[in-house]
Amino acid sequence: MNIETSQPTERALIRLAADGDARAIRALYDRYAPRVYAVVRRIAGDEDLAQDYAQEAWIRAIRALPTFRGDSRFSTWLHRIAVNAALQALRKTETRRKREGPRPIDVPIAPAHRDSLLQKRLEHALDGLPEGMRRVLILHDVEGYTHEEIGDVLGVTAGTSKSQLFKARSKMRVMLADLGGAVQEPGAEAWSI
Amino acid sequence: MEHLTHERLAALLDEPSTTAERTHLASCERCAAELEALREQSVALGTLPELMPPKGDWKVLEAQLRSAGLINDPGVFRHLGLARTPGWMKAAAAILLFLSGTGTGIAMARPAASDDFGTMADRVTTVEDAASAVRLAEQQYVSAVTEYRQLLAAGGGEGVDVDPISRFAALEHLVRVSQAAVRQAPGDPFLNGFLASAMAERDAALRMVSSGQDNWF
Repeated sequence: MNIETSQPTERALIRLAADGDARAIRALYDRYAPRVYAVVRRIAGDEDLAQDYAQEAWIRAIRALPTFRGDSRFSTWLHRIAVNAALQALRKTETRRKREGPRPIDVPIAPAHRDSLLQKRLEHALDGLPEGMRRVLILHDVEGYTHEEIGDVLGVTAGTSKSQLFKARSKMRVMLADLGGAVQEPGAEAWSI
Repeated sequence: MEHLTHERLAALLDEPSTTAERTHLASCERCAAELEALREQSVALGTLPELMPPKGDWKVLEAQLRSAGLINDPGVFRHLGLARTPGWMKAAAAILLFLSGTGTGIAMARPAASDDFGTMADRVTTVEDAASAVRLAEQQYVSAVTEYRQLLAAGGGEGVDVDPISRFAALEHLVRVSQAAVRQAPGDPFLNGFLASAMAERDAALRMVSSGQDNWF
């Protein structure tokens, strides 16, 4: 859909949704649910948690809609809410898990049929990264955040974000090689440690 | 020079290399290949697709939004986002709704001449067609409600010069027509709600006329 022609409709949708119009909320959901779910799913690293986190993100967003002034694109605003909701929920979950015991084995993301083997391997490797590294790698390499933005969201310095990113990329590279499906097969073979 | 570490190579995707590193990369196939693989990995991560939420996700979310009071119940007028509209405007909207409904009925009885949503819906044979039809309906709905709100805002709900007796007569007519519609479909919640709204508005109008008040808004 052409972005320019869709913008007035989106503004109208947002106004209606802010007033609690079910159809407008549903229309926004239909438009952005895959994007919200994708980032939340990757941060959560777990299918069941992801659905809960995504729903929490939507509830927060709809509640905050009357405060959306249009200074940024709606998708950007919503995306930030989703990231924050997922990170906050994940922290709560981690605290609970520490009290309750070891974490169950995650169900890997099952990409759609058309997705390539490489995507499956990337998603699988992402799920296998330690939490801190995964968050930074997703926010930087998948979602395009800067280190300063990551620092704001995660409450760390830009330097820490960089350090975590480089470790995450490196670990991811080794994991992909171990999975036998590195991005560049010859290189992966050379580095299969 | 020794081989570059994984982490240093990962950093070189974003940071400039030193002269020594550049010299090494130019002569070491292994490190150069690894750097290229890391670059491709990073690019591949940046192009990961969006993910569809699980089936039934909207239903669960909708229930949560309702329980949190973030979705209005779809009453006769709330359904159109007009919950805060003054009563007399609701009545006017009800008349418009009714008339447009009558118009739709007439139109449905005739061969369709225009390429409107109705005819489009009739032609739906694939999922893509259905999605297009839904998108069109969504746009029309949003445009209609937005336009109606703008009209309401422009009117401001003030200073509309309508004779109270004429208004009562119009509402009385609306009630009678609505009653006839309910007799045709007694169990229809929309028609019953419509009739109830029209009767309430008519009774209020009658009280205004009876009390001789001019300002019955």
